[in-house]
Amino acid sequence: MQESQIDTETGKHSYSLGFLTVVDHQQHGLFGGYLVLNTTGRPMEFHCTAPIKPNHAQQILYGPTLEPFIYGEQIGQTLLEKAGAQPMFVCIDHPALLAVREHVSTPVALVLPVDDHQTTENTYRLDDGTPMVHFQHGSNRLAVSERADDHRLITEHLAELAESFDLVEPFARIREAIDEAQRAVGSGEWGVGSG
Amino acid sequence: MPPYTTNFVSFEHNDNSAISWHAPPRPIVTSVDTIELGTCSPHVISIPITKANLHVRSFTFGESAKVAEVAENKIASPSKPLQAAHQVAGSTRIHPPADVIKLDDRLEYLLQPSLESLLAERSLAFPSRPFPFQFEGIAFLYPRHAAVLADEMGLGKTMQAITAVRLLLRRGDVKTVLLVCPKPLVTNWQREFNLWAPEIPVAVIQGDQPKRLWQWQLPDAAVRIANYELLCRDRDVFEYLGDDGRPSVRFDLVVLDESQRIKNLDGTTNHVARSISRRRSWAITGTPVENSTDDLVGIFEFLAPGFLSPEMKPLSMGRMVSDHVLRRTKEQVLADLPPKLFREAEMDLTPQQRESYRLAEDDGVLRLTELGDSASIGHVFELVLRLKQICNFDPATGDSSKLERLTADLEEIAVSGRKAIVFSQWVDTLKRLAGRLQQFGPLEYHGRIPHRQRETVIEQFRNDPSRHVLLMSYGAGGVGLNLQFANYVFLFDRWWNPAVEDQATGRAHRIGVDGPVTVTRVLMLETIEERIDRILQEKRELFDVIFSGAESHRKLGLTQQELFGLFQLKCPADPIAVAA
Repeated sequence: MQESQIDTETGKHSYSLGFLTVVDHQQHGLFGGYLVLNTTGRPMEFHCTAPIKPNHAQQILYGPTLEPFIYGEQIGQTLLEKAGAQPMFVCIDHPALLAVREHVSTPVALVLPVDDHQTTENTYRLDDGTPMVHFQHGSNRLAVSERADDHRLITEHLAELAESFDLVEPFARIREAIDEAQRAVGSGEWGVGSG
Repeated sequence: MPPYTTNFVSFEHNDNSAISWHAPPRPIVTSVDTIELGTCSPHVISIPITKANLHVRSFTFGESAKVAEVAENKIASPSKPLQAAHQVAGSTRIHPPADVIKLDDRLEYLLQPSLESLLAERSLAFPSRPFPFQFEGIAFLYPRHAAVLADEMGLGKTMQAITAVRLLLRRGDVKTVLLVCPKPLVTNWQREFNLWAPEIPVAVIQGDQPKRLWQWQLPDAAVRIANYELLCRDRDVFEYLGDDGRPSVRFDLVVLDESQRIKNLDGTTNHVARSISRRRSWAITGTPVENSTDDLVGIFEFLAPGFLSPEMKPLSMGRMVSDHVLRRTKEQVLADLPPKLFREAEMDLTPQQRESYRLAEDDGVLRLTELGDSASIGHVFELVLRLKQICNFDPATGDSSKLERLTADLEEIAVSGRKAIVFSQWVDTLKRLAGRLQQFGPLEYHGRIPHRQRETVIEQFRNDPSRHVLLMSYGAGGVGLNLQFANYVFLFDRWWNPAVEDQATGRAHRIGVDGPVTVTRVLMLETIEERIDRILQEKRELFDVIFSGAESHRKLGLTQQELFGLFQLKCPADPIAVAA
């Protein structure tokens, strides 16, 4: 089992993986969830946001950039900054969360669903046409931005991770945990924020 | 803008004349309109685009990994090569029990990887791949401090309990486990532990009293197995206090197998089980309710004292225990398990049996009538047993319709190379059958067979092709045995409650059975057996109400009126206990 190490500069743990997602709740709005696992899949930290709802003006003014703003900057950046552990890289399951990469130094990889059969050799395109570097680790299919050096960094880190590690499954845990937290805390206590 | 004027010139024209003109000087007049445009200052509306201050809740789970490492170092690795656990696919989630209230604790369960991953992480290998429902059972037991695994017999309760214990031990969540089972099953549990958790050290509490005292107080034994009788005999050790003022014999987990043994709330076994100092309590039984809801109350007094009360209605009791009891039937989880086929072998007594039966019943009823209000439940039972024995064999001639039918069926079974188990509640009946079924190589398994020989009997029945029939008593053979190589079960006489009969048939109809199991329920028409059969049906109703949540309007259990009603007698005024 991989020993957890302390980064002498940041004092944060390495050899961990981050999983970031946003749950769109029909009634309450968007909940962000961030789970940090060790390399055996055990939870180290979990952070979740109160629900957030962009108002009408924001929807008009931000236009197509609203999702990346809410997902990446408001939710993603906030959650990653809250975490104590510094993961090897952060996995996301929604393209809009890629925007978080502009605000953090940690590499970010979009985990593609198993049934997504866009099989261009090394290239994956988002819905808006943005090209991504596409690669595979075990049965996991990943896509990273072409701009940063994330592909090289993530590939190096993945070498330390068992190929059997399922990078899709932890998102289900986050969704279940958000659901549980939302039920337990109730929207009243957290309130419904606005973007 | 300055105003200005313009002169307009007028002309005169006359024919034949020279044009003359004059242009009197006139000032030009220009009219001016002035339009005031004014100045415009637009109104500005600002929409602030600020980053909202998001509320974030944070949870950290740092300790479990450390604990796991410590525990891992204390337990040796498996010595024999087994199928790698990481090959076990699946995603069985461990959900927090309802009594885990704190959000942090609930999330810690929810955010754990799947059970299969946890097992793979600990390198917990299996001799064969468990069924998905068995993973569900392990995931049910693992987080619970009070749990009843009540699967129908044959679904692998033993394996599920052992794997849950193994995971708890390997993760360091528990360090000492006591498993209590009926005496004949001790070797079975030992064998199963060796199979499913070979790296876990298991000690059996046995021997003389000083030795047992030493065994009880062993500090490092991970799993200890004791039988119920020994538990009661050694009850004092649970009251010893150590230097710290706490019980010197205490466990992190106590598992009661065949936990119906503590169903009697006032019984010694129940009291002793409850006196054991422990943090977690599990009960394993295929029959959490044998007779009445009181059985479940007895078990829950061990699991969670005061959680249930005898006054509760079955339906509400079912709701109360729903998070603590896991009950699956073969029909629910093993769609591809060969079916269990029931045959009602209804037949008439031979003329000699009928005459003996009539005389005995008339005589018995007469005696009960004479006793009047002083007639007790014991008197009724005495008569019932007498009549049931006559249904088996005529006491004077040895005639038996049942034997004739059984012999005919066994001939067919033996010819096809199959094996059968015959259950009776009486050892004398079994011995009589052994004498009359010699051509089928009968083997006996009952209370008069010493425990040390019983394993040999089972092995012989399993491996010797000339041994076609095993004669078993409900008491000795009803629980814990794996006899899935027998395809036929005969209930030569009927037990008082259906749960015990189900246990008996479940010996053969379980995982690993290679074909349908035919259960023949022998019933003599117009006898006490027919009347008892109706009561057994009602008891099945009770079980269904508690564990399926279904409403039932049928009368539950065996009442005083019903017992005396077997003989059309008026019952005494005092209430009596439910039949065992």
